[in-house]
Amino acid sequence: MKRKTMIMRRLLPLLLSAGLAAGSLAGCGSGSGNASVGGSSDTSQSTAVGGSLNLFTWDGMFPQEVLRGFEEETGIKINYANFDYDEDMLAKLEEAGGGSYDLVIADDYIIELAIAEGLVQKLDTDRIATYSNLNEKFMSQFYDPDNEYTVPYGAGIPLIVYDPALTDVEISGYEDLWDPALEDNVAITANYRVINGMALKTMGESFNTEDLTVINQAGEKLMELAPNIRVINDSNTQDFLISGEVAAAYLYTSQVYLALNARADLKVVYPKEGLGYGVMAGFIPSKAPNAAAAYAFLEYINRPEIAAECFEFLGYYCTNKAAEEYISEGMRQFIVLPQDAAEGEIIRNISLEAEDLHMEVWNQFKNACN
Amino acid sequence: MKVKKWPFIYVGIITAITYIPILVTVVYSFNESKISSVWEGFSLKWYVELFRDRDMKEALMNSLILALLSCSLAVLIGTSGALGMHRRKSKLNDAVAYVSMIPIMIPEIILGMVFLSIFSMMGLPFGMVTLVIAHTTFCVPYIYSMVKARLVGMDNSIEEAARDLGASPFKVFFDITLPMILPAVLSGVILAFAMSFDDVVISIFVTGPTVNTLPVKIYTKLKTGVTPEINALATILLLVTILLLTLSSLIGKKKYGDQK
Repeated sequence: MKRKTMIMRRLLPLLLSAGLAAGSLAGCGSGSGNASVGGSSDTSQSTAVGGSLNLFTWDGMFPQEVLRGFEEETGIKINYANFDYDEDMLAKLEEAGGGSYDLVIADDYIIELAIAEGLVQKLDTDRIATYSNLNEKFMSQFYDPDNEYTVPYGAGIPLIVYDPALTDVEISGYEDLWDPALEDNVAITANYRVINGMALKTMGESFNTEDLTVINQAGEKLMELAPNIRVINDSNTQDFLISGEVAAAYLYTSQVYLALNARADLKVVYPKEGLGYGVMAGFIPSKAPNAAAAYAFLEYINRPEIAAECFEFLGYYCTNKAAEEYISEGMRQFIVLPQDAAEGEIIRNISLEAEDLHMEVWNQFKNACN
Repeated sequence: MKVKKWPFIYVGIITAITYIPILVTVVYSFNESKISSVWEGFSLKWYVELFRDRDMKEALMNSLILALLSCSLAVLIGTSGALGMHRRKSKLNDAVAYVSMIPIMIPEIILGMVFLSIFSMMGLPFGMVTLVIAHTTFCVPYIYSMVKARLVGMDNSIEEAARDLGASPFKVFFDITLPMILPAVLSGVILAFAMSFDDVVISIFVTGPTVNTLPVKIYTKLKTGVTPEINALATILLLVTILLLTLSSLIGKKKYGDQK
């Protein structure tokens, strides 16, 4: 009896640990073959359509009807994976070595980095029948000058929105925000490239200047703006304008839409000094398991009616020229760029020292605002 | 004896501060308007949208399954670890105690990146497997510390008496020890469940293309904005939690009487 319990005490834990180890090794063994494949998909043939599409982008980028419509039409199941920040997307893509996902939609600046790291495959635009529908204004940008890798999907243009009932200042450009009459009455977002860029624009400089003296001068100009700033908030800046806590705000595109939707009496300003904008674009990672599905999806969402549906849902600027006529009248002012809008400049990556100086200038400005 | 009013007032204020935001969330789930700062009238449309949202339901299912699996594994590891450490009075005890707390002390983003590297080195399929491993890792400390604390305060003589009477170690564990540490285990499980269900950062890093969890889905709406559909979801989760806790306390009262 004693020997039996002795053996049980020693043997059982050993057996359990061995079982655990074996289990994890088995997981490794079958796992290494599947590491870069998501779900059930057809890896070998690039022309066969079927299986699944591993879509990787923020949540809420497509209306449910569009996604289900694609699944019904092609029989391809959409696995909608999400990330919060572009940097996290890049980290995951690096670990996967350019695999796991079929279509990624992210911000312009991170795509530049992804392409440089060899994680993006070249697009065969002939496979996207609706490619010609795209608006050329948002293409051939810094991250993909020859349009070899990406398809644009949505652009954001920060704009000034103000309440004419709360202030007498007629705002027509960034410079007007410096007006002393707007003291403690302005809300801004927290993106330092965008806000510092406002000051740069009033000085006639480019958003992307790498000249350190110029950036410092912009910093000084920005300090003069500090007394007017009541709120710095990145996610719900529009709420302060809607509730009447501030008279003017510098908002991202989606926020402009929300603000104007809630209060039709607000006025939108396309700053005369020049617009700054950012583009979101889709690319196919270098080792995508089912690139054929990605091509099918890209063709699908660039059909004019479907693209119009997408942009109306998304609330970002429409990057598909053919879709513009399908956008309803009410939405047109929000997501279609007017012909006479001032020239736009895309905000791009700059040198490390310029970037650091921007951060310094921004931190000083933030402290002054408090 | 005069009953002092101040403690009640104090509790009332704290309760109000804690629960008013939750109440506002629930109320705004019935808001007609999409924007949370404007009330436009009573509407159930967000609940309708929630039931039609296939991805959301899938994400909720995944989160629940993940939390259950992680908690189960964490209970096994944490409880046996705490028991083992409690029995052996060796110098390593303190070291093990510190090491066991590391997963919840390290910032989540670092933990997430570390898991990402290790899992891709091991070639594990990113998805439920990696999620469960990662979640179990940070759930274990909660259960371990709860059970360990309970064991320290427990009376060893009952266990020893059972052994003297001839009960085998297994019988002692299941009949004597387990019922005594059960409250601690359950508290640990509830806490671990909440931590796992709620986790965003680590989940983003170790999940695969096919598995999406609920907090990740909600958190990544930051580019496109959150609609009151989320309020509707929160309200439903709140109701289910209240229901479960009420049920479990009723059952607990029935089964154990006034036993502490």
